[in-house]
Amino acid sequence: MLIGKHLKKYYAKYWWLFVIGIFALIGVDYLNTIIPEQLGALVRLFSNHTIASEINVADILKIIIYLLGSAFLIMIGRIIFRLTIFRASRNIESELRLEMFLKAERLSQTYYHSTKVGTIMAWFTSDLESIEEYLSWGTVMLIDAFFMSIFVIVKMFLLNWALSLVAIIPIILIIVWGALVEKYMSLKWLEKQESNDRIYDFAQETFTGIRVIKAFVKETKELFAFSKIAIKNKKINIEFARMSILFDIIISLIINISLCIILGCGGYLVYSCVTGTPFELFGTKILLEADSLVTFIGYFDTLIWPVMALGQIITMRSRSKASLERISQYLEQNEDIVHIQNPIHLSNPKGKITFNNFSFKYPTSNNNSLSNISLEIKPGELIGVVGKIGSGKTTLMNSLLHLYNIEPNSILIDDIDLMKIDFSELRDIIAFVPQDNFLFSDKIKNNISFGTDNPTDEEIKKAAIFSDVHSNIENFPNKYDEICGEQGVTLSGGQKQRISISRAFIKNAPIMVLDDSVSAVDTKTEETILKNIRDERKGKTTILISSRVSTVANMDRIIVLNDGKLEAFDTHDNLLKISPTYSRMVILQQLEDEVKGGNL
Amino acid sequence: MNNEEIMRLHGDVKIPFKKMVKNIWKYLKPETLSFILGLLLIFINVVLDIILPSFIGGVTDNLVNAKEGEVITIAKLFTIDNSEISLTIIIGLTIGYVLITIINQIFIYFESMILQKAGQRIIYRIRMEVYEHIENMSINQFNEMPVGSLVTRVTNYTQELSQLFTDVLVNILRNTLTIIGTYAIMFTISYQLSLMMLIFLVIVFVVSFFFSKEVSKIFRKDRKQVSNLNTFLNENLSGMKIIQIFKKEKQKEKEFIEKNNALLKTRYNVVVAFTLYRPFIAFLQVVAMAVVFYFGIKFSLTCGMIVSFYLYISKFFQPIQNLADQVNQLQRAFTACERLFNLLDVSPEVLDEEDAIDVENFKGKIEFKNVWFAYDKDNWVLKDVSFVVYPKQTVAFVGATGAGKTTILGLIVRNHEIQRGQILIDDIDIKHIKIKSLRKAIGQMLQDVFLFSGSIKSNITLNDDSFSDEEIASVSDYVNASSFINKLENKYDSEVIEKGENFSSGQRQLLSFARTVIHKPQILILDEATANIDTETEVLIQDSLAKIKNIGTMLVVAHRLSTIQHSDCIIVLQNGKIIEKGTHQQLLSQKGYYYKLYQLQFEKK
Repeated sequence: MLIGKHLKKYYAKYWWLFVIGIFALIGVDYLNTIIPEQLGALVRLFSNHTIASEINVADILKIIIYLLGSAFLIMIGRIIFRLTIFRASRNIESELRLEMFLKAERLSQTYYHSTKVGTIMAWFTSDLESIEEYLSWGTVMLIDAFFMSIFVIVKMFLLNWALSLVAIIPIILIIVWGALVEKYMSLKWLEKQESNDRIYDFAQETFTGIRVIKAFVKETKELFAFSKIAIKNKKINIEFARMSILFDIIISLIINISLCIILGCGGYLVYSCVTGTPFELFGTKILLEADSLVTFIGYFDTLIWPVMALGQIITMRSRSKASLERISQYLEQNEDIVHIQNPIHLSNPKGKITFNNFSFKYPTSNNNSLSNISLEIKPGELIGVVGKIGSGKTTLMNSLLHLYNIEPNSILIDDIDLMKIDFSELRDIIAFVPQDNFLFSDKIKNNISFGTDNPTDEEIKKAAIFSDVHSNIENFPNKYDEICGEQGVTLSGGQKQRISISRAFIKNAPIMVLDDSVSAVDTKTEETILKNIRDERKGKTTILISSRVSTVANMDRIIVLNDGKLEAFDTHDNLLKISPTYSRMVILQQLEDEVKGGNL
Repeated sequence: MNNEEIMRLHGDVKIPFKKMVKNIWKYLKPETLSFILGLLLIFINVVLDIILPSFIGGVTDNLVNAKEGEVITIAKLFTIDNSEISLTIIIGLTIGYVLITIINQIFIYFESMILQKAGQRIIYRIRMEVYEHIENMSINQFNEMPVGSLVTRVTNYTQELSQLFTDVLVNILRNTLTIIGTYAIMFTISYQLSLMMLIFLVIVFVVSFFFSKEVSKIFRKDRKQVSNLNTFLNENLSGMKIIQIFKKEKQKEKEFIEKNNALLKTRYNVVVAFTLYRPFIAFLQVVAMAVVFYFGIKFSLTCGMIVSFYLYISKFFQPIQNLADQVNQLQRAFTACERLFNLLDVSPEVLDEEDAIDVENFKGKIEFKNVWFAYDKDNWVLKDVSFVVYPKQTVAFVGATGAGKTTILGLIVRNHEIQRGQILIDDIDIKHIKIKSLRKAIGQMLQDVFLFSGSIKSNITLNDDSFSDEEIASVSDYVNASSFINKLENKYDSEVIEKGENFSSGQRQLLSFARTVIHKPQILILDEATANIDTETEVLIQDSLAKIKNIGTMLVVAHRLSTIQHSDCIIVLQNGKIIEKGTHQQLLSQKGYYYKLYQLQFEKK
């Protein structure tokens, strides 16, 4: 059994299934020892009668009834333990998976910043699987190995203690060999698995980046690199095959040779009995009949599987224990963004935003990404944010969403400390268009309506018109029902951006933030979207990050960031006078000259 | 690309059986010797395996009949006319058993290794062939296929094809031999009992065959649901930020539970299927034993014969179950083969002409002569496009989305084949230039930057060790990437995770710039390459690009007019046609489409 804090509640829920299953298993284990006894009984009939026809039919029928009776009960027992134990383990797997997913939803971006999705996926797949495997097969094998061995060994000793001593040696050999080799084999197996994964990853990445490879004519180089991996894979696979074949051969040799030793020794004992000079050991006469020898060999045969399972159980257990540990650690992960007690409600959010000496550092970084930002955005203002790559534009706006914890009172929404507002309420009032334009592989319609509950088709269309993507969508074969991503249309960067804008707009929130959201669209479209923002978001706070001055020049006021600090926050005209960064950007774009200068 | 090609890519075209066998033979042929040897060993192996139980039967007989002094059956084969019960026979049979076991195991070792090695060699060969084939497919063929399916073809399907030889076919043979051999021996012991066993043989085979078929259906469903669930998880973990800021946790939870429960249900079905099958077959085996016991005595068999029969039954049941399973496996392996052969039948759309030449140095004159192009027929993307770019010139393309700008750039590097007209570089039709030498000379900076997992360095050099560290650093300086790289803890050795997700889109573009520049292009293509870069950095990059001597010609697509207004020539496209051409000033004074665009961008006040 696997013990762990996170399994306790499942054991409490399903213990009865396990108990029934385990009892059925123990029964099966006992009945399994009866089958070889019947062969022995049959041999005995022969020993007592010289000619087969002399054998009493009633005696045969008795043996057959025993045989079929036990077989039938074994069948019932097996059905019971499969239906109980396997059902319980499947249930636990499924419920644990759900528990893990719910945890994933509660973990903050701080966690996702430091943990790769691939790593979390491994917990969801292989680790969960190994726990399930141990709960089901591990339990079955453990019970089998324990009870079957006890039943058989006791019966063997009762039958003939001297021969049992001979039989016990190879059994110990198998256990030791199994445990040793299993450990080694599972290491080799991991190596093989890793090598397979490497082929998979390599192919996955080159095929995804095939355009780059073709553009730089690296096909031959990649093929060569692939062949190296494939050759290594070939070698590892052959080595693994050799190991497992040798392992099987040695086990098979041990078993067969032991069988022969039992046969030889037993035969000698029987022979000595028959000739009337029984073999003596420790001063005791060892008596053995032919039928007992046959039964004994049958016992030995029954013992092989549980003994061989022992090695597997050991590895399985250590593997699933490690898996459970990883999953437990994940489930116990600190949730740093939680619903607070007595949050302050924003009854009628206006959209005023105040940064009050705000500084921010990513948990994984040593330096502040933003330092001492103080500014105030009035309700309904249209704000632009500009600055060079890495100046902290995105970080500044992300902090509004309470994706990371911040210092109390460093950001205020409608004069209320952001940390005192429940984060879910906060996210309700902010419509956000992130830089990476993540869309779900779902219908375009559903992607747009993602943040709202059951909007009408009219509303969805309106949102698409807002971001000037409606006519593009109308051109798709399935229009708004088209699936985004690999299974459906391939969307261009600009189309993704615009759908992402619609998704935020449809929320009709008091605050809307667009993070460099028009970088991939052409000028005309950009202009349309900016015009729509001015018209449709009138009176509501809207903040637009851009790497271009031209995009934000017409906004009410513009935040200029430089290396994590606020350089200036003012209108376009004033910024030209006071902000060196801003005016340099403007000059570089030659906006001044062109607009005022009359080159036209 | 026509419909049949697409179907071939997806592996949906039925391949005639004859052709299939011919294709499979192609891979089998180099390993003929291994297979003949392997099969020979299997044959010996099966025979020895079948003989073994009679030894135990022989011993039993000797013991049981000890009083009578009779020796029956197999014992007679191994002892020369010894009519007395003797210990020598028992010991002799025992030692014989050990010897045969050892010899048998040695044969098993060689047989397994020979076949495994042959199988691995086959996998390797197919893998390389498939990989190379996929790598050389044209871009539009790539667009047809999800990456995942291509990867499965390289990994899983190749494995299944080689398993066809090493596992499926070999085991079908082994099991058939075992069944026939065992049955033959049983027949010599008692033909009446053997005929009775025939009933069991048929029942077990039929039940197993249908079970295996059913269960593989459930397993297929299980695999599909698992992959479904994993795709869902992967996507939602990646997009957790969006879920959280749009507060969609509840809805996603509901979707997850739905998928999770569907999987659980399928897994119950697996449990139930095995619950019915396995214990039933085991029960059947005991019933067969009971039949042997009862009728064995009825037909006056000796005790040893019954013991042998008892042992043969257990040797008999397993191969029948396996055989039923393997017949189903055979079908699966054939499907995998069909997909692979289909894919290998698709030839790349763009190929080198036979007389194609290598060109080392391009001056950079590029000419389009009445070029017509369509991705699918009749839907012209470019209509009669003609223009000339002279060496050392920079030319920009402007136009609305879908006007054909990116298409023009793609045609120059022969991502696609034009339908009519001619494209010339240095007055040579590009069809007569080797694709590789063409692409080597043309540096492409694309809109969607792709970074490989690895380091910053490996992404700039694309794992080419011939670039020195100084070179890498100076190129990064040139494109202004060094300022952010130097801020990183490990500088050029900093890790780049999958798809470069740990860098901002601007930083990714800078890295992609460095990558292009270090490969010393003679012609440079920039497709919205600076969209995510701030103005200041962009100007710096453009200045340094202008200074790079090896660059002869530059072609630029950008929607920001500030980026392109200094070009030597600006070509304005609309619906696949050139509508205006000239310098910035010329176009402005024409007061046409470009002028309107310009006004839009700069006269917002």
